[in-house]
Amino acid sequence: MAIINQATKELQVKIVYYGPAMGGKTTNLVQVHDHVQTASGNKGKLVSLATSSDRTLFFDFLPIEAMSIKGFKTKFQLYTVPGQVIYNTTRQLVLRGVDGIVFVADSQFEKMAENVESFSNLDENLKTLKLNLGDIPYVLQYNKRDLPNAAPMDYMEFLLNNREVQVPSFASSAHLCEGVFETLNMITRLLLNKFISQSTPQYA
Amino acid sequence: MATLPQLIEEDIQQLDAVLQELLEQSDATTALIIDQGGFLIAHHGDARQFDLTTIAALASGAYLANQTIANLVHETNFTSVYQQGEKFSLFVNCVDDSCLLTVIFKAHLSVGAVKYFAGPAAQRIARQLKTAQERDPASGLDLSVLNLADPTEVFKRKP
Repeated sequence: MAIINQATKELQVKIVYYGPAMGGKTTNLVQVHDHVQTASGNKGKLVSLATSSDRTLFFDFLPIEAMSIKGFKTKFQLYTVPGQVIYNTTRQLVLRGVDGIVFVADSQFEKMAENVESFSNLDENLKTLKLNLGDIPYVLQYNKRDLPNAAPMDYMEFLLNNREVQVPSFASSAHLCEGVFETLNMITRLLLNKFISQSTPQYA
Repeated sequence: MATLPQLIEEDIQQLDAVLQELLEQSDATTALIIDQGGFLIAHHGDARQFDLTTIAALASGAYLANQTIANLVHETNFTSVYQQGEKFSLFVNCVDDSCLLTVIFKAHLSVGAVKYFAGPAAQRIARQLKTAQERDPASGLDLSVLNLADPTEVFKRKP
């Protein structure tokens, strides 16, 4: 849950990038880290707990202080989960206390089954934490749009954004930093709107 | 999953007092109260030489990972993690379902002493959190001050 610290006037929120292995979750964080425009000292270090071959082992973590809203400092903590199937327990741990989710899908045709499986896995893991995907703001990012074997957007929408309430979705090529900031700003917008309309916020 | 109670300034002051006393008793360097989701809630002591935000995220992850391993080997009584170092050591103690107490101390100090003082400190923190939980949850801050005209450009890309 997000933390609002009344004593220090800080708002802290946790955003988790979720999706299948090799889909571009870590690349999103790297691009945000490399290209975000912040005042000096407002961007933390990007911490990656990865294997020697740069596959995420536990999580990537990037703290960023976005801006001050009427005297409140807003601190965003961006996490990725390991996409590989064997790390499911780790994914459950990273999801603890999540406020918003970016689901990074791989646009390549042959990855569709993995996308659907990962999305279903997200739903299951949230349930183990007594959370419901319908109650958590999330957005979809269709990554790797620059590849020649990318599936049509409509097809991906049909597969992944076919629930009762459709969520915002973005085309991206994360390694070119295309669509990365649009996605992050949208999940931020959904989150802040949720806090504003929430009647019983959390304080710390 | 347990959620944090609403904490007001009085709670933060009480928590800070507990951390200060713990540092005086144990001679530790820094003490942190962290949420199991990885957020840093309160800290006391030397904050200049450590990246406390990152330590909070990693300590929470390490504790939860070790707790899961403990469950896998049928260990039900799991309440703390100790990382032994050459310069600084770290001790993470469970406070309640949502919070952890983390103590960073010089490696030459006895972990036994840190553990001895951290136990009662964690109990006092838990009591304060319970008090906060039982307080009127509707009281506190009006979040409408956070209203934004246009939050679409919270993060801007460098030109």
